[in-house]
Amino acid sequence: MRRLKRGALGVMWALGGVLISVLMWELVKWLGGVISLPMNTSDSAMPHVWTMIGGVGQPEVRGSETTVLEAVVAASAYSLLIALGGFIIGVSVGLLLAIVMQRFAFMERGLLPFVIASQTVPLIALAPLITGIGNRISVGPVQWNTTYSVMFIAAYLAFFPLSVGALRGLQAPTATALELMRSYAATERAILFKLRFPASLPYLVPAMKVSAAAAVVGTVVAEISTGVKGGIGRLIVEYAREATAQPAKVYVAVFGAICMGLIAAAIVTALDVYLTRNLPKESRA
Amino acid sequence: MSIEPTGEATTTEVAVRAEGVWKVFNPGLANEVTALQEIDLTVTRGEFVSLIGPSGCGKSTLLRVIADLTHATQGAIQVAGMTAAQAREDQRYGMAFQQAALFDWRTVRRNVELPLELQGWSKDKRRVRAMELLEMVQLADFAEHRPWELSGGMQQRVAIARSLAVDPPLLLMDEPFGALDEMTRERMQNELLRIREETGKSIIFVTHSIPEAVYLSDRVVVMSARPGRITDVISVNLGQRNEDTREAEVFFESVTAVREALRGRTSGAVRSRVGEV
Repeated sequence: MRRLKRGALGVMWALGGVLISVLMWELVKWLGGVISLPMNTSDSAMPHVWTMIGGVGQPEVRGSETTVLEAVVAASAYSLLIALGGFIIGVSVGLLLAIVMQRFAFMERGLLPFVIASQTVPLIALAPLITGIGNRISVGPVQWNTTYSVMFIAAYLAFFPLSVGALRGLQAPTATALELMRSYAATERAILFKLRFPASLPYLVPAMKVSAAAAVVGTVVAEISTGVKGGIGRLIVEYAREATAQPAKVYVAVFGAICMGLIAAAIVTALDVYLTRNLPKESRA
Repeated sequence: MSIEPTGEATTTEVAVRAEGVWKVFNPGLANEVTALQEIDLTVTRGEFVSLIGPSGCGKSTLLRVIADLTHATQGAIQVAGMTAAQAREDQRYGMAFQQAALFDWRTVRRNVELPLELQGWSKDKRRVRAMELLEMVQLADFAEHRPWELSGGMQQRVAIARSLAVDPPLLLMDEPFGALDEMTRERMQNELLRIREETGKSIIFVTHSIPEAVYLSDRVVVMSARPGRITDVISVNLGQRNEDTREAEVFFESVTAVREALRGRTSGAVRSRVGEV
């Protein structure tokens, strides 16, 4: 009963948040007509919320069969799949790196600076580089696809928070717990699977949340900078160009990107609930 | 490796033997510390021996050397007739720490099963053995609970059950009741003596508490710090312990003897010099 009440309260807060955002938007628009604001509040730059909602059902271009909504949903799904691929690769690589760094102290000293340095490379500089190198790769009949570049960039952004979080997690077991395992003459493998992994979950799960967000943002940005078609990143750019004719369209695309991020977050949260089901509440992420 | 006595009757009677054990941390460096100096100690089978002394006297280090969790710089350790390393590999001892160190993600039963799992026991056999042990520590009803749902004393009982899982002949306990309140502590002491009676284990018990050492032990090994060494070994003869024991004259005499030994004074109480044991 209490859980139900809390759930209902959560929904109310969420709806309240949306409502406040809508009111703020309209307030700024209205103010722009009364006093002079340092931004363009005209209908072409800041369409009314109801115009945006109406824009959902419009045909994508004059006379086309597909509506804006259909186009945005398709593009978001496409990007979400790429982001998911990048996330899975990033998590695997990050976890592997963390295990290696935990196991060999010299690896941590040698590898960690590179891991950190990798994140200081600007994405804009990286994207053409990866596309350029990637396009020259072909293994037998399999030719590099530019979407692989996007996935690679998403993975590149996703692995970092995960490897750092996982490393901390793998190092989390207390000296006593480790001595206990040593007293059982446990192998390194047994210590990893029966102690370090489970103990790392409270660190791993929040790291996964950050990684998922990084993969989504990485996908959208990489789509724009590599010019890959079909994804939501590209769609936002295209719709932005047509903003004078159909100002609502670009916002619909932005909301598509937001929904994609929310779905990614929901997937990770479900994973979180599953992984930490046996842990005390306070140590849950 | 034969552990059966061959002529020498004492071989099986000895649970632990330390001879001339030294432990030096950071040897040759500016921060060199002699944690253990020339330790000689023999624990006979079924004996309950406490190690007591001020912080830094090396009592925990000595326990760790016996457990092969750290290596002696010099000297020989024998556990159940084999080297400390072999004894660890063969699971000839069980260990309990001040922190119960139960794994949050496992149920109480599966915590007790952990050492059996590592030994490759089958699921069914593990379960039966774990329930048997939880029965012994009177926590069978909590088998499917999570450790964090249990009180500190209950957690420590689970840890003791876990240390008994592979049925080792020796228990090494490092201040297992150190974090418990006084009442729980006394209950746990009685519980430990009962388990010892039921199982006939040899026990080496590290503690800070003089009454605890006296109440539990056949012998109390008194250590002093910097360098860590054994200064006295005091025999305690309290017979069968019960609630009256804690208020008995002979109990207080032994407490006094240990206290004075810790202060480095000699007195007329029951005791024997190191060389005699």
